[in-house]
Amino acid sequence: MDGVMDGASDTGVLHASELLAFAEAVVAFDTPLISRTRDALLDAMGEDAMVDAAAVIAGFNGITRIADATGIPLEDTKAEQSANWRNTLGIDRFAATKS
Amino acid sequence: MPIRPDILEAQTRAWTAIGHPGGWWAGAERVAIAAETRHAASCALCAARAKALSPSMVGGDHATLGSLPGAAIEAIHRIRTDSGRLGENWFRRLLTDGLDEEHYVELVSVVAITVAIDTFRSAVGLDALPLPVVHAGTPERRRPVGIRHNLAWVGTLAPEDVGPDDPDLYLTRRDPSLRSGANIQRALSLVPPAMMQWWDMLEIMYMPGPWMRDFTREYRAVSHAQIEMLAARVSALNLCIY
Repeated sequence: MDGVMDGASDTGVLHASELLAFAEAVVAFDTPLISRTRDALLDAMGEDAMVDAAAVIAGFNGITRIADATGIPLEDTKAEQSANWRNTLGIDRFAATKS
Repeated sequence: MPIRPDILEAQTRAWTAIGHPGGWWAGAERVAIAAETRHAASCALCAARAKALSPSMVGGDHATLGSLPGAAIEAIHRIRTDSGRLGENWFRRLLTDGLDEEHYVELVSVVAITVAIDTFRSAVGLDALPLPVVHAGTPERRRPVGIRHNLAWVGTLAPEDVGPDDPDLYLTRRDPSLRSGANIQRALSLVPPAMMQWWDMLEIMYMPGPWMRDFTREYRAVSHAQIEMLAARVSALNLCIY
């Protein structure tokens, strides 16, 4: 889980380092870095996986904006289920930045 | 490079729809929102605010293409460049400045669609699409009767409040298992066409609900675990709690 927050720690997910590096480059719209990380991901996982990864990254780059722009709350059940690791990862501190 | 045809088709539908009249904005205005979304990425004020401890510490004017009201420009730019730090006070100021919640929700949908499509095309090495063709016509301007203000900053339409005159935005008439009505799905429901344009595209790019919950099978070339890791990382990068 730390890898989700810092992009570097081991997540235990296959090809995590290539996928996470690609995601960070894409979200930053860093064209040269996108190209390098896309090539690395293609080498590791192939074209279909790269395209599907790009689609997920892009979709969540949109949906996070919808969530944050409308103020929808996390459901109570999801909040309870995730309390431990949200605390561990410090996700709840994001709320303190809002104005 | 081969790209899943359903992704390109879904994005083409959503992109084309931006050029048509929506629930509340005219086609030309919706295209202007998409254009301004792209333009916001190079706004000096937004760049300075994103680096500041608090965006309110930085004053100035947005670099804008100039065809939309000021409150809409502020909304587009902040959602595009600093959405993780949006708060309800900021949203309420937009309403005070003349942007009603119906126009706001539809604006959010267009911004999200634009960001998602541009992000995808950038990621796979394709040029950005040209802006959609503008189609004349009048927005529907129909507010669902069952809207309630009991969930989010904006009014929402819960699945149980969808009326016979409302579109089937939760797909319950087709198959009730397709859209669960989770809070994130309700976020844009104040403007059902805006909600549907977004979710019809996203479910192709991500997964429809039943696939998301079915861990007995991998439906994409990336696994459930890889997908959720990517989703979580993008959410963290965007400071999104949900």
